[in-house]
Amino acid sequence: MSKMIQVREQTKNIPHEVREICDKMLKDLEHAKRPTLDAIKCTLDNSFYNPKVGFLTPGDKMVTTELNVSSVQKMARVVFLMEILLRNMDIGSVNTKREIYYMAKGLVRSEKNLKALDFDDQNESDSIIDFICDLLEVYREEMNCFANDRGGQTYSQQLVVHETMADGEKATIDLSTLGTSPFQPKNRPQSLKIKTKGKVDFCLVVESEGTANTLVANGMTKRHRCIVVGAQGVPSNAVRGWVRTIQNQLDVPIYFFGDLDAYTLQNIYRTLKAGSAASLIRNSDFSAPEVNFLGVLPEDVKKYDLHCYKVNEHDIKEGRSLKKAKDALKNDPFFQDKKNRKLSDILNWLISEKLRCEQQALYSVDPKDPHICEKIIVDKIKRKIFV
Amino acid sequence: MAKSQITSSSTAEYFAKNLQQVGFSSPTKAVLTTLKEAVDNSLDACEEEDILPMLDISIKRLGTGGSKNTDLIEIIVEDNGPGLEADMLPQVFGEYLASSKFGRGRCTRGQQGIGISAATTWAQLTNASGVLVTSKTAKMKKAVRAQVDVDIKGNKGLMKNKETIDWNKPHGTRVVFRIDGRIQLNGDGGLLTYLEGTTLVNPHLELKYKLLDSETVHIKRVSEQNPDIPTATLPHPHTMKLGEFITHAGIYGKITFGNFLKTAFSRVTDATLKDFVTNKMPKSLLVKPLTQVKEADFKAAYQAIQSTELPSPSTRSVLTVGEDSLSKSIMRLGDIDFFSVVARKPTICDFKPVAVEVALARFLGRGSEDGQIQLLRFANRVPLQFDKGACAITKAIESVNWRAYGLAQSKNTLPQGPYVFAISLVSPFIKFKNASKETIDASDELVEEIRLAVMRAGQKLSRHINRETKAADLERKIQHIEQFGPILVETLARLVKAPEARKKRAREGLEKILGRDSKAAEKDLDVADTRLKELRAKMRERGIVGEDFRSKDDSISDAYSEEDIGSSEDTSVDEVVVSKKQSKKKKRAGKEEVKNV
Repeated sequence: MSKMIQVREQTKNIPHEVREICDKMLKDLEHAKRPTLDAIKCTLDNSFYNPKVGFLTPGDKMVTTELNVSSVQKMARVVFLMEILLRNMDIGSVNTKREIYYMAKGLVRSEKNLKALDFDDQNESDSIIDFICDLLEVYREEMNCFANDRGGQTYSQQLVVHETMADGEKATIDLSTLGTSPFQPKNRPQSLKIKTKGKVDFCLVVESEGTANTLVANGMTKRHRCIVVGAQGVPSNAVRGWVRTIQNQLDVPIYFFGDLDAYTLQNIYRTLKAGSAASLIRNSDFSAPEVNFLGVLPEDVKKYDLHCYKVNEHDIKEGRSLKKAKDALKNDPFFQDKKNRKLSDILNWLISEKLRCEQQALYSVDPKDPHICEKIIVDKIKRKIFV
Repeated sequence: MAKSQITSSSTAEYFAKNLQQVGFSSPTKAVLTTLKEAVDNSLDACEEEDILPMLDISIKRLGTGGSKNTDLIEIIVEDNGPGLEADMLPQVFGEYLASSKFGRGRCTRGQQGIGISAATTWAQLTNASGVLVTSKTAKMKKAVRAQVDVDIKGNKGLMKNKETIDWNKPHGTRVVFRIDGRIQLNGDGGLLTYLEGTTLVNPHLELKYKLLDSETVHIKRVSEQNPDIPTATLPHPHTMKLGEFITHAGIYGKITFGNFLKTAFSRVTDATLKDFVTNKMPKSLLVKPLTQVKEADFKAAYQAIQSTELPSPSTRSVLTVGEDSLSKSIMRLGDIDFFSVVARKPTICDFKPVAVEVALARFLGRGSEDGQIQLLRFANRVPLQFDKGACAITKAIESVNWRAYGLAQSKNTLPQGPYVFAISLVSPFIKFKNASKETIDASDELVEEIRLAVMRAGQKLSRHINRETKAADLERKIQHIEQFGPILVETLARLVKAPEARKKRAREGLEKILGRDSKAAEKDLDVADTRLKELRAKMRERGIVGEDFRSKDDSISDAYSEEDIGSSEDTSVDEVVVSKKQSKKKKRAGKEEVKNV
C-alpha cells in the first residue's frame, strides 16, 4: 500500500522507536530488572500556557509505569496493542479506535493464551492507545488510528480545497459548486491545501451545526464573503485541525459563536483555541490560537434582552459543568493568564449569575426577521464586539 | 342549647375505631401485629416468673376472609408461661389499658395494655368472635378454656363458653385468633423476619413454628438463663411535668414535703434539698406535711428543682441481652461467614437510661453484594418492622461512612452487601413515634449513641473485611503473574525478533521480579491475619465465646459445650470467623488457614 499522508513534518521513525522500547524492556527483564515506560503526563497540573505560543504545552512531569504485579496487565496490553498498530503501519492500513478494540478482541478469541488481555469495553483499549501515543509523543493519526470525523461541515462561496490522496491522485473541491452540501474535512486536514477565490472577510465557527446550516440556508455565504464552519459541540480532532489549517493558510480573522455557558467557554471554546490537557502533545497542530470569542457575550444578553435559563446546581450535568468552571478558574493556566482575563471574567459572571443563554436566543430579538442572527453576528464583527 | 350533645366514649370504643393506630392498618400488618402481641405477652409473662420460655406457633390459612381481598387466618401461640386464673382472662384479653406494667419504668416488651386487647377486637370485628384462650396455672388441676370478647361500649372483657379441660401441661397459655388478614413471610414486614428477629434477641427462647404448609421449624435455646430484669427505678425529677409532679405527690400520704422528694424520686438527697433551697425553694416547705402543700407551693418547688443541676438518672434499670448471648444467638439464624458484636454500657440519652447492642454479621448464601444490608431493629427486644426510614436506628446507620470499613455505600443511605445489621435498643422509657411502636424517635443524643455503637462494630468488622481484601489481593497478584507474564515476554520477543535464549532469560527474570511482589502481598496478608488473631485472643481472654462454626449439617445448638458459655460484664466485642470462602483463596496462596480464635 502507498505511503500515508502525513499530519506534520515528522522525523521520527515510529516502528523503529517501538522496537527500541521493546528491546530495552526485554533486556531489563533478562537482568531481572523492572522495565519502565515513561510517558508525558497529560493533565492540567502539567499544562502551561504562554499567550505568545497560544496553546497549552506540556511541562516536564512524566508518568512512569514500572513493572510490578499490578502493572503487568497494563504493560502486556501496551505491547499487545503496539504490535497491532505496528502491523497497521507496516502494511499501511488505517483503523478507528473502535475497530482496533474489535481487532484486539478477535486476536484474543483466536489465541487461548491471550484471553487475559481481553478488554471489557472500548474505554480500556482507548486508554492504552492514548498511553502509547503519549509514550512515543506521536499523534494517533501518525499511528494510522483515526477518530470519527464528527463536525467541521464547511460552507463558503470562496473556498477551494486541494487534496492529494494516498495514491497520489489529486482532487480540487470548489465549495461554491457543492450546492447546499457542506464540505467536511477528514482526519489529517493539515494535509489539505486551501485557497480562496478573492478576499474572504471572516471565518465563523458556530457551535451548533444546525444554526450554521440555518445561517447558510438563509443566504449568509451569498451576502458575505465568509467561511462558515459547524463545530457540532466539542470540536473533534478533525475540526480542531481544520480550523488550524484555515488559520495557517488563509489570512482571515476567525470567530467562534456559541452558547453563553460554562461548558461552551471552558470546554468547547478553550479546546478550539488552545487545545486541552488530555492532548498536550498534539495541541500545536490541533488548536487555533487566533480564534476570537464572538459570543454570546454577557453584554449581548443585556443589549438584546436575551432569554436566559437559570442554571440548576442540583442538576447533575449542569452542576458538574459549574464545578468544572470553578476548577478551571482555579487551576486552568489558560483562564489564569491575564491575556484571557476577559474570558475568565465571563466565567466568573456565569458562576455568580448562575445563568446560561443559548446561541439560538438571538432569534428572539426579531422573530419575523429570518436574518436577525446573521445581522447581529455581522454587526458584532464590524463593531469589534468580541473577546 | 345546641342540637348535638357531647357524648363520651369508652377507651375500647376509641381503639375499635382507630385500630390502624396500633398496628392493624392493613391485612398483612394485622397478622403480624396479632402474632407479635401474643408473643410479647408470653415472653413477658415467662420472664416475670423466671420461666425459660418455650413457644409453639402455628399460622394457617383457613379459607377466604369476610373482608375484600383477605384470607381467614388462624394464629395460635402456645407458651409454657405461668398461666392465668380464669377470672383474669377477660381483663387481660378484653380490656384496654389493663396492664401490670404501665409506667413502672421497667424494660418490658409491653407497657400499656393495649396490644392484645386490640388483637381481640380485630378478631371480633373481622370474624365475629374474639380470642379463644386456654390457660392453666401451676395450682390448677385442669385448664380453663374460654372465648374472650371485648365489650366495646363498656371497655370490659366478656368471657363466653367457659369450660375446664384436661391439658397435658403443668402451666401455660394458648391463644387462638381467627382473623381476616394476609400472610407475608419475607421482607421487612414478613412473619419470618419477625420470628428471626425475636430469636436473635431472645437467646433463652426455644421456639417451634409452623407457617402455612411448610415443615415445623424447631430452634433450640442457646442460653439457659432468663435475662435478669432489673427492678424499676424511681422517676428522675427532671423527667416530670408539673401536673405529673403534683399527681405523683398524691400517693405519698402524710409525710413532709422534704421526705416526699427524697423517697419518691431518684437522685434527691439532703444535699440536693439544700441546692433546691438555694434555687429559691422556700425552706419552710421542706418540713410542711405533703397534704397541706398548695398548688402554688408545688409550682415554686417544681421551678426550683428544674433549675437545679442533678446527677443523671441511674442506668441500672436497663436490661441488656449481652454480647455473649447475642453472639450465640446470631448463629441460630443461618450459616455465618463472620460477625462482630458490640454492647455499649448503658448511658443516659435525653435524661433516660438507654443501652444499645449491635450485631453485624455476614451470612453465607444470603443477600447480595449489590443489595442493601438487611436491617433488624429492636426496641426492648421487640422487632420493629415498619417505617424504617424515620427510625433513630436507621438514621444512625446512614450517618456512618461505611466505605471506611470496607462496605459499599451511597451517600447517606444504608450500606450494601450480604450483611445483617441487628441493632437493639433497650430502655424503660423508649420514645416511639406512634402507638403501634414501629419507629423510635430520632433525637440527636440517641442517634449519636447508636452511631457510636455501630461504628465500633464496624471497626471490628473491617478487620475481617481487610483480611479478606488482602487475601483477594494476593490471589489477584498471583493470577496476574500467571496470566500476563508469559504474554508480555512472548510479545516483546516477537516484536524484536529475539531468539529463544533471550526469551528464556526474560521469563526467568520476570518470575524473579513478580515473585518479590507476591511475597510483599503475602506479608500484608500476614499482618492483617495477625491483627485479627490478636483481637480474637483479646476477646478470648475476656471470656467471650468465639467458636468456629461447624459444618452446615451440625446441630447449631450442639456446637457449644457448657464450658464455652462465658459471660462478660463490660462493653466488649466478639467475632467469629468461618472462612469457607477464604479457605479456598488461601489454598491457592499455600498458606495455612486461620479459622478460629
